[in-house]
Amino acid sequence: MKRIIARREAVLVVLLLAEMAAMQSLSPLFLTPDNLIEVVRQSAEIGLIALAMTLVIITAGIDLSVGSIVGLSVMTMGMLWEDARLPLALAVPFALVAGALLGGFNGTLITAVGIPPLIVTLATMAGFRGIALGMSQARSIRNFPEGFLWLGQGYVAGIPVQVWILAVTAVLFHLGLTRTAWGRSVFSIGANEAAARLSGVPVNRVKMQVYMLSGFMSALAAVIYAAHVSVAKPDAGLGFELTAITAVVLGGTAVSGGEGGVLGTLIALLMVGFLRSGLTLARVPSEAQDMMVGLLLIIVVAIDRWSRRAGRE
Amino acid sequence: MRKAFQILLILAGAVLLLVACGKKQTPPASTGTTSTGAKLVVAVMPKLKGIDYFNAVERGAKEAAQELGNIDLTYDGPTEGKVDQQIPFIESWTLQKVDVIAVACNDPDAISPALKRAREKGVHVITYDADANPEKSGREFFVNQATFEDIGRALVDEMAAQAGEDAKVAIVSSSPTAPNQNAWIAVMKRYMAEKYPKMQIVTIQYPEEDQGRAFSMTQDILKTYPDVKGVFGISSVAFPGAADAVRQAGKSGKVAVVGLSTPKSMKGFVKDGTVKTVILWNPVDLGYLTVYVAKAVAEGTLKPGATEFEAGRLGKVKVEGDQVLLGPPMKFTAENIDQYDF
Amino acid sequence: MTSERIPPTRFALWRQYGREMSVGVFLVLLVGYFGTTPGFLRADNLRDILINAAPLVIAACGMTMVIIAGMIDISAGSALAVCAVVAGVTSKSGASLPTVILLPMLTGAVIGAVNGWLVAGVRIPAIIVTLGMMSVLRGGVIWWTRGEWIGNLPPSFSAIGRGEVAGIPTPVLVAIGIVVATALLLARTPLGRHIYAVGGNPLAAARMGIPVRRVLWLVFVMHGALLGLSALVYASRFSVIQSNAGAGFELLAISAVVVGGVNIFGGQGTVWGSAIGGLLLQVISTGLIFRRVSEYWAPSVQGALVLLAVVADALRTRRARR
Repeated sequence: MKRIIARREAVLVVLLLAEMAAMQSLSPLFLTPDNLIEVVRQSAEIGLIALAMTLVIITAGIDLSVGSIVGLSVMTMGMLWEDARLPLALAVPFALVAGALLGGFNGTLITAVGIPPLIVTLATMAGFRGIALGMSQARSIRNFPEGFLWLGQGYVAGIPVQVWILAVTAVLFHLGLTRTAWGRSVFSIGANEAAARLSGVPVNRVKMQVYMLSGFMSALAAVIYAAHVSVAKPDAGLGFELTAITAVVLGGTAVSGGEGGVLGTLIALLMVGFLRSGLTLARVPSEAQDMMVGLLLIIVVAIDRWSRRAGRE
Repeated sequence: MRKAFQILLILAGAVLLLVACGKKQTPPASTGTTSTGAKLVVAVMPKLKGIDYFNAVERGAKEAAQELGNIDLTYDGPTEGKVDQQIPFIESWTLQKVDVIAVACNDPDAISPALKRAREKGVHVITYDADANPEKSGREFFVNQATFEDIGRALVDEMAAQAGEDAKVAIVSSSPTAPNQNAWIAVMKRYMAEKYPKMQIVTIQYPEEDQGRAFSMTQDILKTYPDVKGVFGISSVAFPGAADAVRQAGKSGKVAVVGLSTPKSMKGFVKDGTVKTVILWNPVDLGYLTVYVAKAVAEGTLKPGATEFEAGRLGKVKVEGDQVLLGPPMKFTAENIDQYDF
Repeated sequence: MTSERIPPTRFALWRQYGREMSVGVFLVLLVGYFGTTPGFLRADNLRDILINAAPLVIAACGMTMVIIAGMIDISAGSALAVCAVVAGVTSKSGASLPTVILLPMLTGAVIGAVNGWLVAGVRIPAIIVTLGMMSVLRGGVIWWTRGEWIGNLPPSFSAIGRGEVAGIPTPVLVAIGIVVATALLLARTPLGRHIYAVGGNPLAAARMGIPVRRVLWLVFVMHGALLGLSALVYASRFSVIQSNAGAGFELLAISAVVVGGVNIFGGQGTVWGSAIGGLLLQVISTGLIFRRVSEYWAPSVQGALVLLAVVADALRTRRARR
């Protein structure tokens, strides 16, 4: 089992390197540190969401509401700061808690009421976004203090702040997933939920935690996003869920659950980011880029399927 | 061993495919050198690709580039009107050290840091259609089609003339967070309160950029508020949707439809009387002017303090402070609408 | 409704169609609630609601089959845009009416065939295939049209969307026809039984000799053709076809199906429920405007109502299971 995963991640790394070589051939500006750092920075917010999404998908679930949680938590933070005059040092943690609670709402409907994750998060995707719009009356919040903006626009040792945050969280997630009993229970739920329950895994509690984590990470991404673009708007995060899911699936985590990993997700995230960056540098129009990202996803997963079937023969 | 080999073969194939696709689209690579003699690299970005309005802007930009002769024009942007999808383009162009970036911003503050970085790296930055934050972005000029005041007033005056000064009206906009639309609505409300106090806005609806929703929302408005005399359709998507709804409800001529869109989308409605006037400015001219301004800024012929600017076939346009003004809004009516093909 | 016939017992009809009946009751209640505002219950408004719901209902029929078969399609909105553009282009080129109707459906069927091959042949999960196809199709439409919208459509085109037959609007007739046809296919044909079987338990279905992969592929092809028809009905009501049409449409279709009671895990549900679900979504949208609900809060009300329908159903099935 472990050998298969290791091999898949090796395949991804090879693909990534091949892609980078291809992009470099299209434009010599690609492999400059400036460019590479910026690409990673642009993927950081979605990366945070994708980390948690990896866990959700490993449990054979899905969370379509992450983009809307971004919108709702960013407006919560913004309105607490602007209307309630709360200092950002308080508004930010508040928003993070809000994100976790929103994720908990998803989790409750999924575990306690038993509604499939696709349906719950499809409905909350609309519901949370709607609340963000309603409570903010569609206004945007601006003029955040410089100290806050540093989170999304600053650099430490030449590397953007959010990249550091992503790197640290990724390591934590990886360790949590692979080295703890909790991580093992996440895998077992995805592999066979009934069996996991029978062998004593607190399935409902773990699932709840996974969805709360997803909400929390979405809120974290929201805070960094607001710092990055210096605005809080209720339509923040629109479409994030699809990019996050693409990264997770491309990275080798199976939609059927039970396998996958954070490392693959990160590599896939970089693959998509580098592809777009290289194509933009090569002046490929953005609609063609969209097509290629879609094709990339299908081709890579197809290759993975074929190789696994070939492996079985 | 065999399967590893098979995988590598497929991978190689995939890479070749990507490279092949890429090469097909790549025009001659830009050298990125600065002006004086060599070609000026100008990058123009719309709010989003795929709507009539910006397709017209693209035409104007290409026309100007061809006329001027020494412009290497790139026109690209996201397929959705989201500012965080615009930022990667700005950063890529900064890296390529293009000479000028001209952008229609989806959000004035969000895009400013990226524009500022471009300025710091020596790239000239101008905005058009929708401005960035002037201080935070360091952008040099804003090519404005017409001020928000002019547009808002033109819309309201037109409605007063068609539906009466005491009419009940509805507004169909685009997204509740769209900056241009919200600015126009603010002007319209203020102007109405000043000049036509008896005019009443019964509702404002937001169909996003979805024509089907604009249609059914207008339909519903006509039924919910049967005494409504006029509908404002203030986006290039909302206007045809609203006009369609009024026409199909059999209310052409009874309910005035006033709005902003391209004459091409509205031609049918103007011809059959559903819409009497289409207000816009000429987006082709806007794109044209933008490229002229871009060149002038890069070559240093347009500097702060100028009061007018000569732009090819447009002649002299006014410059107010750091805004280059295309001119007052244009009105397209049944008499002149055939002359325009955008 | 499962493929076996349930022996008649008390409340058999409720047990078999309980979900659809609950949604129907919900719909009636909502209509009643909105009906307290003047004008809502007038014939012209009800007629408009039916016409506006028609494209969604047609697409929901296809999506019903997809979900019953245990799959999903999140590229439906992008496929709609492609087919709508095909419809417009075909019509403008002066083709005959049958061609204008068939070409979008054929386009949809081809898209469905590709999706189906990737899912059934290459064995990639449907959610991944359609996630990728969504980007491919969306980018493809813009690339093909260069972002241009299609205007100046010939009057014969609008006749499809705005016409009437014996006083009933054409879109409504088409929608009713498709719903009935789909229901018959699912309930009375071997293919229909196969679809339920494959969705309920693909391994058992395979052991029973059902050609699982061919069934899955056919479902996608049929769904694609229906999307093409839906695109035609949708686009022919407007004077301009936008290249960014159909954004978010797939989520509406899935919501309609889910609210209508089709089990997301496959193997159960009927198209009647999806049709009611589609109608419900349009009723909500119109009703909120009639009720003058603040335009800022309207989207959340819609989301909440969908959530309510889904939760109510989950609780109902849980109680039934005990």
